[in-house]
Amino acid sequence: MRPTSRLALSCICAALAPIALAHDEPAKEYGRLGTVKFENSCAPEVQAKLTRAVAMLHSFWYVAAEKTFTEVISEDPSCGVATWGLASILMSNPLGGRGSTAPQAQKAMAAIELGRVMGTKTERERDYIEAVAAYYDDWANKPERARQLARAEAYQKLAAKYPKDDEAQIFAALYTAATQQQSDQTYAAYLKAAAVLEEQFKKYPDHPGVAHYLIHSYDAPPIAEKGVKAARLYASIAPDAPHALHMPSHIFTRVGAWEDSAATNQRSREVAKAGGEGDEAYHATDYMVYAYLQMGRDADARRTIDEASQIKGININGLAAPYAIGAMNARYAVERSDWQAAMQLPMPPPSTWTPTPANTRFARALGAARTGNVGMAREELAGLAEIQRALEDKKDKYWATEVEVQRLIVAGWIAHAQKNDDDALRLMRGAADLEDRNEKHIVTPGRLAPAREQLGELLLEAGQPKAALAEFEMSRAREPNRMRNYYLSAVAAEGMGDKVAARNYWSKLAQLGAKSDSARPELVRARAALQ
Amino acid sequence: MRSAAAMVLLAFAAAVHADPYEADPDLAAQDADYAAGKRAVDAKDWTSAVDRFKRAAVRHPENADVQNYIGYSYRNLKNYDAAFTYYKRAIELDPRHRGAHEYIGETYLLVGDVAGAERHLKALREICLLGCEEMKDLEQAIVKYRATR
Repeated sequence: MRPTSRLALSCICAALAPIALAHDEPAKEYGRLGTVKFENSCAPEVQAKLTRAVAMLHSFWYVAAEKTFTEVISEDPSCGVATWGLASILMSNPLGGRGSTAPQAQKAMAAIELGRVMGTKTERERDYIEAVAAYYDDWANKPERARQLARAEAYQKLAAKYPKDDEAQIFAALYTAATQQQSDQTYAAYLKAAAVLEEQFKKYPDHPGVAHYLIHSYDAPPIAEKGVKAARLYASIAPDAPHALHMPSHIFTRVGAWEDSAATNQRSREVAKAGGEGDEAYHATDYMVYAYLQMGRDADARRTIDEASQIKGININGLAAPYAIGAMNARYAVERSDWQAAMQLPMPPPSTWTPTPANTRFARALGAARTGNVGMAREELAGLAEIQRALEDKKDKYWATEVEVQRLIVAGWIAHAQKNDDDALRLMRGAADLEDRNEKHIVTPGRLAPAREQLGELLLEAGQPKAALAEFEMSRAREPNRMRNYYLSAVAAEGMGDKVAARNYWSKLAQLGAKSDSARPELVRARAALQ
Repeated sequence: MRSAAAMVLLAFAAAVHADPYEADPDLAAQDADYAAGKRAVDAKDWTSAVDRFKRAAVRHPENADVQNYIGYSYRNLKNYDAAFTYYKRAIELDPRHRGAHEYIGETYLLVGDVAGAERHLKALREICLLGCEEMKDLEQAIVKYRATR
């Protein structure tokens, strides 16, 4: 290295050092991560380690990957391409939509600069560094959407330049999928990525990134079935990566495979807890609770919620943990129609993530409105309005809309409690139509109470079982195999006098609750109807 | 070189990770031109506001707020044709943009097109099922307009 380069390297390292912030490291060695072939010109003794770091990157195991990439640099200071890995990690989950924070971007840009100074022995490795650099170029003056598009374009160029480099094709597919917007219900970006990944899947059935990104690329209601194969394989490809154990449940949730979801999330939670990754553990826990509740395994759900209090190392100002803490307690009440419990839900711990209290307020409002306590329902409704206003002030349109849907549902039930079903139905239909325009966020296995299911329930209460059943069927297309949906559908079919349809729904409900550990009234009624 | 690489190790071994599940906040608000445009609006310097918001729009072409602000600034410059163009673009980008619906409705009143204002009041009634300030303000503006005609 030239003296000027050495000086530049020292300056960059000095810039990197002060940005150190605390994060727990996994306590154990890293194990099975799948098969990745990442050609590189680094010293022979670090090549296996670099490949392992890339495998970790493919499973979004950022803590472990970061440690491993830095070890590579430490052991082979000529391995410039390892800085590409560091900069990639700092973009965080590219499907999450948030991207880098300012300190992360600063640090990533320093890593990229370090890579440029260290140099690479091949043009391809330099092109990898420049591809990730496209995301950080003029970072402060771009919205995340523009960064995502720049990144996708840069990786697509990389993939085109090196058509035989399968890692380039796979990363290009990931970053293409990451341009998918929740309001685009043609799923164009997802499907474009999936087309590439399906070809790669034939070549590399045990590649962690291919299986992982296929799951993300099919994480939408009408295309979820296509992701089942990847979902069933991914956890066995990289069984030591917490995210790999959790990710299959995104597809399992979409297709209503609750036993699979609960099982894989249980493993994910344990691995994440052991590694001190509290956010990942909480995220898996919420998915697990949701799955248990759909099977009527209420005791398992309750135990899982209670055990979550032992999870350490969470970021209360992040999203995954505060969302899960509020949501799973609220789910436990709402899914079981336990309105008294819903009204008494404690508020979640304070968090700077603005929507944190929304699910709790929503559940309390539902409980109050469904039991005729209009005064309390209105108080909670006002609380939800405050949250929506705060989100609008922050220009967080997606979550503001989610809270608006909750307000409309509550207002609908209040109007119904006040014997004004015309208004109630107008408000509830508005909620359902608004919710249908956006996909659910990946942080949640499902909204607390699907708006179209709520509309059906209101129609049922308003004495319109046929219209109600139509709404339940529509809701089921987006959120299949839900216990409440089958129960309400059966009641609606009975209300219409359609005994065949009713029996069909009671039967589905009984199957779903075959391993129930509780005396859910829905299941008691189903079993009685089937005798 | 070894010590430099060791510093990298130190810096990255204790890194901060983004929450992988967080939604995308609107980063246009951090844009220098956007901020300057808002200051110009506060100062009623409409020409500067148009200039700064248009610069911000180059970097944020899909941001409805930026388009809405350009429309608002043109409206205050009494360039109503330009104002309509930008308000319509804001609504195209975000059909539920309450502010743009209110402001374009009020601009229709300024050019004597009460039917145009009514169209956007209807849109606001469909958007604001639980009521909203924008809907109330446009309603009042239409009532006031009719009372003075």
